[in-house]
Amino acid sequence: MAYNILVVDDSETMRAVIAKSIGLAGVALGSLFQAANGAEGIEVLRREWVDLVLADINMPVLNGVGMVTQMKADPGMGDIPVLIVSSEGSATRLQALKDQGVKGFLRKPFTPEELKKAMESVLGAHHE
Amino acid sequence: MNHTVGIAEMKVSADPGDVLATYALGSCVGVSLYDPVGRVGGLIHCMLPLSRIDPAKAEKNPLMYVDTGMSVLLQAMFDQGAQRKSLVAKVAGASRIMDAGGVFNIGERNYTVVRKVLWKNEILIAGEDVGGSVPRTMYLYLDSGRTLLKMAGEEKEL
Repeated sequence: MAYNILVVDDSETMRAVIAKSIGLAGVALGSLFQAANGAEGIEVLRREWVDLVLADINMPVLNGVGMVTQMKADPGMGDIPVLIVSSEGSATRLQALKDQGVKGFLRKPFTPEELKKAMESVLGAHHE
Repeated sequence: MNHTVGIAEMKVSADPGDVLATYALGSCVGVSLYDPVGRVGGLIHCMLPLSRIDPAKAEKNPLMYVDTGMSVLLQAMFDQGAQRKSLVAKVAGASRIMDAGGVFNIGERNYTVVRKVLWKNEILIAGEDVGGSVPRTMYLYLDSGRTLLKMAGEEKEL
């Protein structure tokens, strides 16, 4: 199946890097959506069918933690797997995200090979 | 047939009987490319990261530098029928030999430029063994694309 993927990051450059990495990962890609913060991400999730969310933590308006909290509270989007892609890695925050059901973490800077592996791990786990 | 790829050299082949080998990769970097569909393979042994430090030398032998060498290797692969989308890239070397203090970081810079060139060309690295302080020998088998590393008596598939 083809996956619809949403990339949420306030850096346009980072979104472009992630988008290119997704293209190289060999994942069957349906649509690729982009959002510049958590609130925009939630808007996309309300509007579109999304199979995987790649989200940063530190973003304006609504950060990644807030976005995941809103997602989990919404039965329409609570089951969508989330992969956090962030330079932030405080153990407390990562544990809090894990407790909320986040499927994976990838620390910036990452290589495209690492992103590929993380996506395969999240998608594999989700579709087992 | 066995072909040796010397320092600042490369070899591209579509003969499934060929094995390409490059010896004594220290801070130099070896990159193998293989197209499993067209069964075209290439191996390069580059010494330094960027050609801009000596454009005259780079013009004489572009294979000495990672940036110009990789361009030549990729073009030679395409000329032999390899497709960019099929290419499997493997990287070895880029160690800190002869630079234990890390003053020049040649190995690390070689590796960074390899990554940049491959990223620009939309090619992921399928296997690598880089850094550290061991010399490596790298083999590419044209029948399968198998890439073998030998270092300090140890063998490793990339």
